[in-house]
Amino acid sequence: MQNPYIPYPVEVIKIITEVDTKDIKTFRFKFVNPEDEAKFSYIPGQFGELSIYGKGESPIGIASSPTQKGYVEFTVQKAGVVTSALHEMEEGTLMGLRGPLGNSWPIEYLEGKNIVIVGGGFAFTTLRSLINYMIFEDNRKRFGKITIIYGARNPGLLIYKDELEAWQKRDDLNVNITVDKGDATWKGREGFVPAVCKEVAPSAENAVTVICGPPVMIRFTLPVFFDLGFSKENIITSLEMRMKCGIGKCGRCNVGSKYVCKDGPVFSLAELDKLTKEY
Amino acid sequence: MEKRLIKKNTLTGIAGKMADEFKVWAPVKQEENVIFSPLEKNEQPFFAYLNSKNAPKQIFFPHTETLMKYTSTPKGMVFAAEENKADKTVLFGVRPCDAHSFALLDMLFDQEKYKDQYYINKRNNTTVITLACVEPPYATCFCTSVDGEPVDDKGADILITDIGDNYLVEFVTPKGEKLANYFGETKADAAAETKKKEIAEKAKQAIKSKIPAHEIKPILDVNFENPIWATIHGKCLACGTCTWMCPTCHCFDISDEVKGNDGVRIRSWDSCMFPLFTKETSGHNPRTSQKERWRQRVMHKFKYYVDNFNAIACVGCGRCVMSCPVNLDIRKVVEDIAKIK
Repeated sequence: MQNPYIPYPVEVIKIITEVDTKDIKTFRFKFVNPEDEAKFSYIPGQFGELSIYGKGESPIGIASSPTQKGYVEFTVQKAGVVTSALHEMEEGTLMGLRGPLGNSWPIEYLEGKNIVIVGGGFAFTTLRSLINYMIFEDNRKRFGKITIIYGARNPGLLIYKDELEAWQKRDDLNVNITVDKGDATWKGREGFVPAVCKEVAPSAENAVTVICGPPVMIRFTLPVFFDLGFSKENIITSLEMRMKCGIGKCGRCNVGSKYVCKDGPVFSLAELDKLTKEY
Repeated sequence: MEKRLIKKNTLTGIAGKMADEFKVWAPVKQEENVIFSPLEKNEQPFFAYLNSKNAPKQIFFPHTETLMKYTSTPKGMVFAAEENKADKTVLFGVRPCDAHSFALLDMLFDQEKYKDQYYINKRNNTTVITLACVEPPYATCFCTSVDGEPVDDKGADILITDIGDNYLVEFVTPKGEKLANYFGETKADAAAETKKKEIAEKAKQAIKSKIPAHEIKPILDVNFENPIWATIHGKCLACGTCTWMCPTCHCFDISDEVKGNDGVRIRSWDSCMFPLFTKETSGHNPRTSQKERWRQRVMHKFKYYVDNFNAIACVGCGRCVMSCPVNLDIRKVVEDIAKIK
């Protein structure tokens, strides 16, 4: 049996700097042992522990989709010891990856429904995984209308710019990109995410919204979706907490009786209402 | 399963004999304290003890343990080896409350989905021999309030009870029975069993400290925001001693240590009493003060563990009560919670 504390060896095969400030990068990893890729079989919304020997581990949402074979991607902001070390790495470096960990976006529940994706800033990574999963050729017909609302503080902070552009060209996606404040070259929409949600006003009928972003964005976005008629069961989000083991043993990421690492990170608003507000 | 009688002066010899075959952890005197420690050659265990200063959970869940080793290569640090050693071990003379804690820790470390192989490996390789408390050792003992008893075989492979002239030896599990040949040939008679039952009942009655540990569960369910939480932590120093001494506290940290080209990933005990325990890289901390940390400690033991495993995560050993430098007594906290209307 796989020891859950031992990481799979992975090689950094591609690094993409996502933003002008250069502190958010996407890291593409290849499994050193090809058989490990199948063992790391994941669902959008799950996370992994990026493991840098000598530095430690950091829990990060998986940014690629399981429909993308041969590699797995994580988009990481440079912040603490591990992520700073990661940002110093070059292609070809070996490190470790544990997981997949946590529950996932509720794919089966989402099937047959209209999906509204709402993302803010850098917290768009596991939403990107979900989008690429849903628009994958064989999967697209399993989901209804897909609306995407994504915003960042300024154009330079939008991540996955090439994909955003490609998605905007598709006629089976309603893509709404916004920035709090544009610059000289910005031709797109300006405005905060909650305001854009109000403007786009997706129908609540047979619809689920999946929201990820900074707390302040979530706080102002939720009332918009309540007004649109979305029930708490149909508003889904993902929590973050300090984690170590990732498997519900080390005892620090609990919210009430639930461990965010094992029972989450994905919860519906209806589920969160039953938990204590300690996150 | 089988029961035998042994003479009371034979216990030390049996432990010594076992030490030829096993690593034997037993209570030993160290300055003022009795602690569990692996017996050195010809070292005498000290069975006339009340309870050990330290909880014997460290045998399965050491204060610090290496999980793996790694080494540097031109392409970066890479995994070298898993470190998961477990000697054939006998834990000799543990008190029933502490043996109970192993049954509680098993629920967490040996779950269906994620198995903690470091804990399980040590647990599987260890035979637990419980030495019953025929007289409750301390006024702070409250095992009977948290599903324990002073003469109890929970978590034990062998239970030894002092029945006056002899020790009654009961083999509780097949693992315990494998050590039967260490305990002589004398089968226990019905009189010995009757005597044990009398002694067990008397010991149970002698536990005077009682707390409403079960009664507070429904109160905790609906009182996360109760003003009582602001009244508990005032004198707490956040030293973490209560969690260090606790037989059921299991929170840990994982960290890396590098020396030259090689390094290890280790896990060490951590504590919900420490401010940094939940502090995130961003600076955000969901538990901002000792108030929230104390609430977590109480909730974890008397509500969350019950929600998740249907068991209270406290064995009533009283170590936290005796060791707290500011006399913050969890029994009083539980009593006060029980009074919430």
